[in-house]
Amino acid sequence: MAVTALATAEGKRPSRLRRLEDERWLALALLTPTAVLLGLFIAYPFFEGVMLSLSSTRVGEPGHFVGLKNFHKIWNDSIFHTTMWNTFWYTGVTTVFKLALGLWLALLLNRHFRGKAIIRAFILLPFIIPTVLSTFAWKWMFDPTFSVINWTLFQLGLITARINWLGDPDLAMTSIIVINVWRGVPFFAITLLAGLQTISPELHEAAAIDGARPWSRFWHVTWPLLMPVTLVVVLFSVIQTFADFQLVYVMTGGGPANATHLFATYAYQLGIGTGLLAEGAAISLAMFPFLFIIVVVQLLYIRRVETR
Amino acid sequence: MAKTKRRSVLKLAGGAAAASMGGMAAILATGRMPAFAQQRTVHWLKWVDFVPASDALLRKEMLPEAEKALGIKINLETVNGNDLQPRVTAGIQSGAGPDLIMAFNNQTYLYANSVVDLTEIAEAVGKAQGGMYKYARAVCSDGKMFMGMPWAVIGGMIAYRKSWFEEVGATKFPETWEQYREVGKKLKAKGRPIGQTLGHTFGDAPGFTYPYLWSWGGMEVDPSGKVIMNSKETLESVKFMQAFWKDAHDEGGLAWDDTNNNRAFLSQTISATLNGASIYIETLRKPTQYKTEKGAPMHTDILHSPLPKGPAGQFGFHLLQSHMLMKYSKNQDPAKEFLKWIHTEKNFEKWFVSQKGFATPCTEKWEGHKVWSDDPVMAPFKVAAKLGQAPGHAGPPNAKAAEALSKYIVTDMYAKAVQGMPAEDAVKWADAELKKIYG
Amino acid sequence: MIEGALWRRWVFYNIPLILFVFVLLFPFYWMIITTFRPDGELYRPWNAVNYMPFWTNDPTLEHILYLFEETNFMRWMFNTMFIALVSTVISLFCGVLAGYALARLNFPYAGGLGTAIFVTYLVPQTLLFIPLAEIIRNFQLGDTPWSLILTYPTFLIPFCTWLMMGYFKAIPKELEECARIDGASRWKAMVYIVIPVAVPGILSSGIIAFTLSWNEFIYALVFLSSPDQKTVPVGVTSELIRGDVFFWGPLMAGALLGSIPVAIVYSFFVEHYVSGLTGSVKG
Repeated sequence: MAVTALATAEGKRPSRLRRLEDERWLALALLTPTAVLLGLFIAYPFFEGVMLSLSSTRVGEPGHFVGLKNFHKIWNDSIFHTTMWNTFWYTGVTTVFKLALGLWLALLLNRHFRGKAIIRAFILLPFIIPTVLSTFAWKWMFDPTFSVINWTLFQLGLITARINWLGDPDLAMTSIIVINVWRGVPFFAITLLAGLQTISPELHEAAAIDGARPWSRFWHVTWPLLMPVTLVVVLFSVIQTFADFQLVYVMTGGGPANATHLFATYAYQLGIGTGLLAEGAAISLAMFPFLFIIVVVQLLYIRRVETR
Repeated sequence: MAKTKRRSVLKLAGGAAAASMGGMAAILATGRMPAFAQQRTVHWLKWVDFVPASDALLRKEMLPEAEKALGIKINLETVNGNDLQPRVTAGIQSGAGPDLIMAFNNQTYLYANSVVDLTEIAEAVGKAQGGMYKYARAVCSDGKMFMGMPWAVIGGMIAYRKSWFEEVGATKFPETWEQYREVGKKLKAKGRPIGQTLGHTFGDAPGFTYPYLWSWGGMEVDPSGKVIMNSKETLESVKFMQAFWKDAHDEGGLAWDDTNNNRAFLSQTISATLNGASIYIETLRKPTQYKTEKGAPMHTDILHSPLPKGPAGQFGFHLLQSHMLMKYSKNQDPAKEFLKWIHTEKNFEKWFVSQKGFATPCTEKWEGHKVWSDDPVMAPFKVAAKLGQAPGHAGPPNAKAAEALSKYIVTDMYAKAVQGMPAEDAVKWADAELKKIYG
Repeated sequence: MIEGALWRRWVFYNIPLILFVFVLLFPFYWMIITTFRPDGELYRPWNAVNYMPFWTNDPTLEHILYLFEETNFMRWMFNTMFIALVSTVISLFCGVLAGYALARLNFPYAGGLGTAIFVTYLVPQTLLFIPLAEIIRNFQLGDTPWSLILTYPTFLIPFCTWLMMGYFKAIPKELEECARIDGASRWKAMVYIVIPVAVPGILSSGIIAFTLSWNEFIYALVFLSSPDQKTVPVGVTSELIRGDVFFWGPLMAGALLGSIPVAIVYSFFVEHYVSGLTGSVKG
């Protein structure tokens, strides 16, 4: 105490600076703005959200503590089951396709040709443009009556009857998967391309001299070296996709007959749409443990790959 | 010692945060105060009218008039009808939002705690204009208070192509579901199916599925509020619907919202659809753009009819719109003044005429208005508000009925069935969902 | 890497690449063509005869004019720009400081804190918006840009921190040590030596944060209500989907014009954007 008192006596500024010489104090000072903002706008609302999910609150009616009743209710809710299955299916399928197509595109770009810079800049556009806006373009392309995709297939003689893109439950799911993949492939491609470029060509040459064929060179040289980057890209993508909202909200609103609801859209429909705030919160919260487990598993795996 | 230090730093950080908040609030306060002092404003949120001329009339003529007459500036915001409910919730939760919000059907019951009682205005308007329809009263008032001020009823009728129906031998509109299905089958064979949405959309979806259910004798609940959805009658209706859908309907309808059938009808891909009068009104507005395949203006080939009869009778369910005055509103008095002003006969008539019959007022006096006699095609809409049945039938249209409606349970039951779920399962599903609500 | 005949190059590289580019860019082409196509041509069923969807002979500006004359589109653009810029600046400030602390300083629980910040990235927005709505009500920020400016950093800060940690880690320790031997304080070494070196990283995170804010939808949908407070995605969604049967022209025009600012910012800083993305992955 005495030391601090003395320091204050010396005048404020030097004392503060001296304190900042201590790494711990400096760290504290540097982390404070972040901690305040995240604490106020994430940690506190998160806590409140958990409390909300344990209450009977509706819009305009404060409600009281009901324990796990809401979770029990959604657990027995057939729409919630569909939602859960949808979310896993949506995340899984899109991730596989984004990875496969993204990697393919990255390999196509990983060489020298004229116009490479321009192409690289252009293909990132789907990822840059706000999701809601580009999804509207897709919605118009999938429109039941005026679909340009149907027109093209019809003109090419591939179909005779219309394909009911958004009206059929499976096709509606396929449609939103297509759009998500469309939006995600550029991100995968560009980051994987960066990963590819760090792999020294000499390794390939060495393998080629050893007589390895292109496919086996890819499998034994490129792929293992690309693994760490790939894992992080997948991690980011899974987080984004699992909690996706905008795309489904714009495309189908969860329809037809709840066939394309994801956690976020269903939580929105119940919480904000119908005003059942507590149930909406319970559904959102139900997504958290899944997400947490997926991420922990991936992080552990990444660490293992990196330390290997 | 370390402890005291840390705490003081935390306090300091907290203080700094509070100070910055105060600063922000101050900026906001200075930014807004003058505006408040100068003028009274009311933020009015309603749906985007399917008759665009009416919104234009409000914006360009009526609201400036209101500003002159009352000294209140009205900020009119129009959004897609499906977005109204989320906005109500968001407004109530964040304590800021539109002062007047349009509600559909018995949604008013869901927000009973968060709205201001409008009994006084509603009763006055009812008395002055020939009495309020029972339907409007039931949907907006729980007997103790008016949670919304009834605005208008959007009549839902089947709009159909006269010549196309004649071509398959139907000189007048089919009277029963069986006949309608036969006609529809022939129409679909010619590539001109019936269009009907079974999607999650406020107007045309429940506007079809509820009366369809009732006409077969199916009901969500009995008058005491006991769930009786799982009945022989409901099952019959679902089974018929499965075949009807396949035989006669445009299968794209599962993904439609309230606007898709308008576009499909106008681009001549469907022969009939349940809708407000907006399709017909649009063809009247642009006779040169919409032509039949023979080149005649399309509006000469459109007629309206109520939904066909079922074994239990003929029913209709028409979208009722009302305006809720929100409790969080800081402009309740000007909002009330405005409501009174726009519901005076002289003002309301202007708006009503611009609707050309798309909207039916909620009071009896307007039945004699010349809008109805001007155009015989519009005549079926005249009594929509009088004959409508409220959701939740045979129980009261209370908050539970409103929750069932906004969860699209009845609509989803049919949607699931036509997508291939066995009829029994679809009915059981709906019954179980309703029981969760009615308890 | 490319060996073999010309046809091989076409089959294995050029044709697939052309297909990729075509599919990735087609929706934008469709946006453009819809924007300039008159209504009479737009609403023709998919199986109509004589329908030429990919071109129009009489382009029109009516949809764009509608956007400017009948809606608050310019106002939405301005709002979005303002909100995106301010929240980006706030997030960068926090992210740079936190990233520096987590990457270069030794203090207890550093690892735990880093993980905690990352975990906040996982909390679903749909869980937060109701409680956040109440916080916003308490601060009386409902229906003002500040409701978004203060909430957007919740997902931007973790991202910026994560990115900046990567950049700071890559800067050699010796740089600071030299400065400190010359007598600079830790604070000065950070502000004058390390941060300037990390400017490309800051630029990259800034651009990404900017595009993320421009993209945000849920909070804007819930927290804003007046027509003249809305952001572009929310304004376009709520006010251009019209009861009127013809809204696709103005809607596509709105989507097109609403995308242009991000596209411009992006085109100036492509390299930074790309290095930010790839940096996020390596970090």
